[in-house]
Formats: sequence, structure tokens, C-alpha cells
Amino acid sequence: MTPSLVIPWGSADWTAIAPIIVIALAPLLVLLADLTLPRAARRPAALSLALLGTAAAGLVALAGWGKPYVAFGGGFVLGGFTIAFEEIVIVATLFSLLMAYRLGREDQTAGGLALMLWSAAGAMLMAGAANLMTIFLGLELLSLGLYCLCGLAGRAGAREAALKYLILSSTASAFMLYGMALLFGATGSIQLSALAGANLSAPLFAVGVGMFLIGFAFKLSLAPFHVWTPDVYEGAPLPVTAFMSVATKAGALAVVARFAYAALSTPQSHVLLQPLWILAALSMLVGNLAALAQTDMKRLLAYSGVAQLGYIVAGMAGTTAFGLRYAIFYLAAYTFMNLGAFAVVALLSHDREEGSRLSAFEGLGYRQPVLAGAMTFFLLALAGLPPTAGFTGKVLILAATVGAGYAWLAGVLIVGTAISAYVYIKIVRAMYGRTTGAEIKRPVVPSSPLPWIGVGLCALATLVLGLYPIAPSDVLPLVK
Amino acid sequence: MIWTLALAPMLLGLLLYAWPRSADAAAKWFGVAVAGCAFVVTLLSANAPDESVRWLQRPFTANFHAGLGGLSYWLVLLLTLTTACALASTRISRQRDFVAQMLVLMGAMTGLFVARDLLVFALFWDLMLIPVFLILVAWTPSKSSASAWRYLIYNLTGGLALLLATAAYGMLEGSTDVLGATLGRGATAIGPAWGEWIFAGFAFAFLVKTPVWPFHTWMPSAYADLPPAAAAVVSAVQSKGGLYGFLVVTAPLMPEQMRAALPLMFVLGLVGLVYGAVVALVQDDAKRVVAYSSLSHLGLILIAIFSGNPLALSGAVVYVLAHGLFSAGLFIVLGQVEQREETRSIARLGGLGARNPRLAGSLTIVALAALGLPGLCGFAGEILILTGLYQTGAVWVAGIALVPIIVAAAYMLRLFQGIMQGPEVEDLPERADASFLELLAIAPLVLAIVLLGVNPGPVLAARSLAPAQLSAVEVQR
Repeated sequence: MTPSLVIPWGSADWTAIAPIIVIALAPLLVLLADLTLPRAARRPAALSLALLGTAAAGLVALAGWGKPYVAFGGGFVLGGFTIAFEEIVIVATLFSLLMAYRLGREDQTAGGLALMLWSAAGAMLMAGAANLMTIFLGLELLSLGLYCLCGLAGRAGAREAALKYLILSSTASAFMLYGMALLFGATGSIQLSALAGANLSAPLFAVGVGMFLIGFAFKLSLAPFHVWTPDVYEGAPLPVTAFMSVATKAGALAVVARFAYAALSTPQSHVLLQPLWILAALSMLVGNLAALAQTDMKRLLAYSGVAQLGYIVAGMAGTTAFGLRYAIFYLAAYTFMNLGAFAVVALLSHDREEGSRLSAFEGLGYRQPVLAGAMTFFLLALAGLPPTAGFTGKVLILAATVGAGYAWLAGVLIVGTAISAYVYIKIVRAMYGRTTGAEIKRPVVPSSPLPWIGVGLCALATLVLGLYPIAPSDVLPLVK
Repeated sequence: MIWTLALAPMLLGLLLYAWPRSADAAAKWFGVAVAGCAFVVTLLSANAPDESVRWLQRPFTANFHAGLGGLSYWLVLLLTLTTACALASTRISRQRDFVAQMLVLMGAMTGLFVARDLLVFALFWDLMLIPVFLILVAWTPSKSSASAWRYLIYNLTGGLALLLATAAYGMLEGSTDVLGATLGRGATAIGPAWGEWIFAGFAFAFLVKTPVWPFHTWMPSAYADLPPAAAAVVSAVQSKGGLYGFLVVTAPLMPEQMRAALPLMFVLGLVGLVYGAVVALVQDDAKRVVAYSSLSHLGLILIAIFSGNPLALSGAVVYVLAHGLFSAGLFIVLGQVEQREETRSIARLGGLGARNPRLAGSLTIVALAALGLPGLCGFAGEILILTGLYQTGAVWVAGIALVPIIVAAAYMLRLFQGIMQGPEVEDLPERADASFLELLAIAPLVLAIVLLGVNPGPVLAARSLAPAQLSAVEVQR
């Protein structure tokens, strides 16, 4: 392992963030293509370049596997943990891009795609961020793009969503920043590794940890800090919602995991993390209960995301090494099953209306059996039913929580899952149940067939991950 | 081969959605053929060696381990036989989709009964709920899906408890690949503190599935709303998953907890036994009579399993199969009645026997088997269980258990009388008597009812998952 260099901008450091550089440069090409190409070719070219850039970033990131590396004086740490989260962000971006062919008005598409990639770059930066400054940098890069993207849809609700997200997210950032300042005050360093040796009894430190975690609970939309999520998800354009539901969560989760595992993993500091597990338990219950009453798919998936993030955080309870592996595995599984469900919604959308109302699913099993079958599969996965990655992931999370001695959390998880069955299978019932007039509706002609690729790949991944749960062993976060 | 038995029906069922809609009627015979083939293959592979594919290595070992020894063999036979008979007699709208779901159901349940790994067992336990739920929402006679939801929420809650218990077991034991060969191994390793919780999780799932009073409220509405063919398979085989679980999961793995739970289970079983019989006596819906009679019969089996007496256990195994055979027969024949007369109300029906002697004959045999007539399968199970209970010294239990068995005669004869005998009802639609095909659909069940009644011998030894004759693989191990 190369130690951090004396000159922090030595040439070697750039390889550590090579994937981020690739995904941050690709939008320039996207915008350039949009400026120079003839009108008809703009959208296809912009989307192709965005997809290529993201895929290239994914490959570059993979090339760094097995070479742990500390860059920028401990500000960015490369390792299995970082790459796992980077790849999840990449996958989420790819599938969101497939839905984004008609993102916004015609003259907005290229800009929207560019913003999405820059946001992804921010999330990837968070995946490797190991000091408070880099964490904040990544978070802001992620959020700034999203503020604009949320308002891209032409509806009145979109502007509301954008404004709401801006205000609430900034508030959360303020909390977090204040917490960071207190942590710096308590330890005299911005490095996460410095926190490990801090004086735990100092009130400054405890308050700092608390505010930091509150800020990230906002970003992860853990209950009770989740109230912004459904409104923003509903107002934002569908591909942006899909992107937010995974990429922002992955970025924030990476920070929380690194914070919990690297900075607070001593037995004495475990007590500081207790609130996090309680938030996870609350999320599982609140998210699923609130999802019961939803009639809009985007709102439903928003609340479902609250609960799913609860499951993932529960996997890390007790900060055991295997718990983190299964949390990451579940996040990967969630990426596929959740984005698969979003891709189905995208295929039910046409130019005038997004197919996210629950009524769009009524009788779908008889109109579009393949699509309905795929949706059923994703919903079963989200509900944790076999034979899917959702089932296997939930078994692993259960094993992790029980193994870490948090049996009560496993119990809450079971209760939450039981409630969630109604949430998800309600849609299955709508698709296959007896409904009046369902047969009369015509199949929707989607605005773009590209999400079919997403549906196919996500279904395949959800099945395969369920049968071959590959969780890389080398995922413990490093700090310097 | 064993995994093929489970996977092929599921795949063929899903592929059936590509079947042309115009050939709806032929889809049914495709289903019968698949189930029939599965039956024959099972019959021939009595000594098939176990199969195992690795699944999880961490945090505990779990393998896709399948075996067909002992009780599994008989239950898969029962499953494939009832599926074939039920499909052969079915007549329903959107037949292709129905047959597809029934095949998926058959495959999932085969998976459950051949699983030798607890986690795989839990996987198929949850999986087999889905086709039944889909059948309930798509073919329910009422507009609301209340029965489907009740079925799903009850059974899924049980399934999740099973899953949590399995995960906890795996973490403590290091492996969930423990069914079958390793008898009594887990009991000491788990320890009393966790053992009780894990046993509670398993027991809750099994009690809901069986169902045992007071967890039975999903059952009558589900059986009433399911199409006859599906009701036959669910009541005959799926509900046996719970009793099977007690026999092959908790009995060998946690005998101490089984003994500790004995008083509670005796009470639950006895209450269900009496309550089911009494309620069956006053139901008007013919399918609900059968549903509540199941509650009564299954309560008896529960008592037999927990008594731990070898004779009672053998009786339990015989009665599990016997109940499967005659309840499938009852649902199929009642389905044939409903198809003709468009009602299941005993008050409304009457006098069918005069015009439909063949239909009446079918109902007679299965009803007699259900009320425990000597020579038919129900009696063989009951007498073994009662003798066994008497042997253990639980005379009062045997005494109470005797009463509902007598009541069974009353409600089964009432069912038969209400439908077949008495004056003919004028405004019932007149339809032809049971056709040759309809008789053919019920014939294998009748044959099995008689065979099991006169010679339960081969089944008696199948109290666990150990194969009757150790195969070469087993001996080497």
C-alpha cells in the first residue's frame, strides 16, 4: 500500500479517482453532442454517450479491484468497499439512463443526462470519502445536480418537489455540517480515522456524532426523517426518481457505513450508534405502514425505499464484518429489484402521462402478460419472497442481525416484512384480480422501448443473485 | 432427478403461458400428463440417492439438498396423484392459466417435500403460497379478495416466523442442511434459551399452515373460494406441510421442546377436534363442511404427533395420507356437483342421487372414507392413533378424541343426505350424470383409499425422512 504522499497532488492519486473522472468528463461530451449534432440525432447521441461514459467508468472502477490505496492525504480511500458502492451507483445510473430517453423537453434532455452523471460522480466520491471534507464535497456534488433534475418535469408538482428537496436537503446538510464542525472541534482533525481515538465522554463529540447521523438519516430517508421522500419522488421525473432511490442512498449509506465501521467500531463507542439501529427499526415499521395506503407507484416505492433502507441499516447492527457484507449484498439486490419495478412503470408511461397510478396496473396480467409477470417477480423480490435475491438477501440480513445479538431488530424486520407483503402484493392483485373493465384498456405504447432492457437485466440479476448470492469478502471500509 | 421433479413442473407451468388460447381445453390434458408423469417417476424412484447443490457457505451452510426417502416419497406421490385427478376433473374459465398455476404449485410443493435443508424448506414454504394466492384472486367467485388476503397474510406471517427461526438455527448450528440423516443432532447444540424461541417460530408456521385452532380462520373462506381442483390440492397436500414439518423438522431436531409443548398442543388439538366437528355439523356450504371436518381431523393428527408414541406416529402418517386422499376426493366430487347445480348449499340441494347414481356413488365412497369406515383409509389411521394414545396412558385424550370421530359420521352423512337423498328439488338445473371422464378422474383416488385402508403396511415405517431401505450412498456415509 502506498502511504499518503507528502505532496497531495502527486500523479499517482489520480488513478484512485479515475472512474469518477471518467463519469465526470462524459457529460461534457454529452453536452457537446447536443450543441453540434443535427436536431434528430441529439437525443440518441446524448443518451448513447451518457451510457457509454457510465459503463466505461464502471469498467475503470472494476480495474482497481484488489488494490487498496489511500489517496489525497487520506481524503479518498480505494478498496473493495469503495468499489462495491461505486459499482452499485454505476448500475443504478445505467438503468436510470435507460428510462431517460425522453427526460424533460427535447432541449432539456442532454442537460438532464449530464446532471445525472455529475450527481453519480458525487455519489461515487462519497463511496470512497474518508475525511469530512471529501464527504461534504461528494454530498454537495450529488445534491446540486438533483435539485435541478427534480424540477425537470413540466408539472406544477415538479417545481414543488424541487423546492422541497432543496430546502429540506439543505437543512439536513446544515445539520451535518454543524456536526462535522463539532467533530473537528472535539478531535482536531477532519480525518475519520482520528475519530476512533477521540474522547468519547466529551459531550462535544457525542453531539457531533448525533448531528452528523441526523443529517445522513435525512439523506437515507430513515424514519422519522423521511417525510420529504414521497413528495419529491412523486414530483420528480421517473428516471430521476429511479436514480435517487438507489444512487443517493448508496452514496449516503457508504458514508454512514464507513463512519460506523471505521470511526466508531470500538466497543465503547457502540452506544453512540444505538440510535441508528432504532432508526432502522422505525423505518421498517413506518415505511411499510405508510406504504399501505398509497395509490401512486412512485409514492409507494418511496415509502418502500424507507423500509428497505431500514433493512439494510439493520444488517449493519452491531457493526459486524459479515453484517456489512450482507447489507451491501442486500443493497445490490435492492438496486436490481427496485430499478426493475421502476423500469416497468416507465414502460407503462407514455408522452402525456407517467404510468405510476395504481390504476395503470389493473388487469395488466391480461393485457401485457410478460410485463405483468416481470412486475410480479420484482414485487415478490421487494416483499422478500422466493425465488429472488430479495429472499436470499433477507435471510442473510436476518442471520446477520441475529448473529450480532440484535434479535429484537430481526423481530421488527419480520413484522415489517409481513406488513410489506400487503403493500407489494396489492399490486399483484390489481394485475391479476377480477376487475371491471380491465380487459377493455389497450396496452400502453411506451414512449421508448429502452426500459425493456432494464426489465430483462434486472429480472435476470434478481433471480441469479437469489440463487448465487455472491457477496465479495473484501468489503470492510478502510480509513487513513 | 429429484430436483427435476420439482423444477420441471414449475418451468412447464410458466411455459404454458405461451400455449395458444384457442387450445384451452387441451391445456388441461397437458397438465394431467405432467402430473401423471411426475407420479410415475416418483413411484419408480423410491430409492433415488440424495442430490445436493451448494447454495450458501457463509454465514451458515445451506445446500439445495433433496431426498425422496421416507415420508417425502409418500407425500410426493399423494401430491402428484391428487394434482392429476384434480386437473382431470376441472372445468374452469381461462383454463390454460389455471393449469399453469396448478403446475407451479405442484412443483413448489414437491420442492417442499423433498427439501433436506431447512432454508430450502423455508424457501418452498413461501413459494407455494404465491400460486394459491394468484388462483384465489383470479378465480374467486366474489368481487372482493378477502379470502385471498386472509390466506396470504396468515400463511406468510407463519412463513416469516419460519424464516427467522431458520436463520437463527443456521447461525447457532452452522448449517441448515440437517433434515433427514442427522436425527436428534441439533437438540443439544441449540440450548434451551434459543431453543424455545426457534421452536416457537417453527411451531407457529406449522400450526397456521395445518391449520390448528385458533389459527384456522383463513381456511374455511379460502377452501370455499378456491376452484374445486385447487381446493382439493391445497387441503389434501399443502395443509399437510405443517404436520410434515412437525414430523421431520421439530421432532428430530428439538425433541425436548416438543415434549415441553405437549400439553399446549394437546389442548389446541382437542379444541380444534371438537370445535371443527361441531361447526361442520351446522354448515350449509358443502365445501365448508369439508373445511371444518379437516380442522377436526388434523387436530387428531397433531395430538398423535406430539404424543411421541410409535404406534400413534405411524397412525399419524397413515392418517395424513388418508386425509389427503379423501379430502381431495370430497372436494373433487363436490366440485362436480357444483358444476351441475351451480350451488353448494346443502339446504338448496337435494335428491340428486336418483338421477345421478354414479355421482352419488363417488360421494358415498369418499364420505365413508372420511367418516372412518373400517376397510377404508380413514379408519386405518384413526384406530392406530387411538390405540397409540391409549398406550401412552393418555386415556382421557383418547376418550375425548373418540367423540368427534363419532360426530364425523353425523356430518358426513348429513352432507351426503342433503345433496343426494330426499325429494328431488324442482328448480335445480337437470344435467347428465357423471361422465366417464369424471369417474376416471376420481377412480385413482378411490383405488388409493381402498389400498391404504386394507394395507397401510408400507406407509407405517415412513415416520421420518430416513429411507426405508438405505441406499448405497447412505451406507457409504
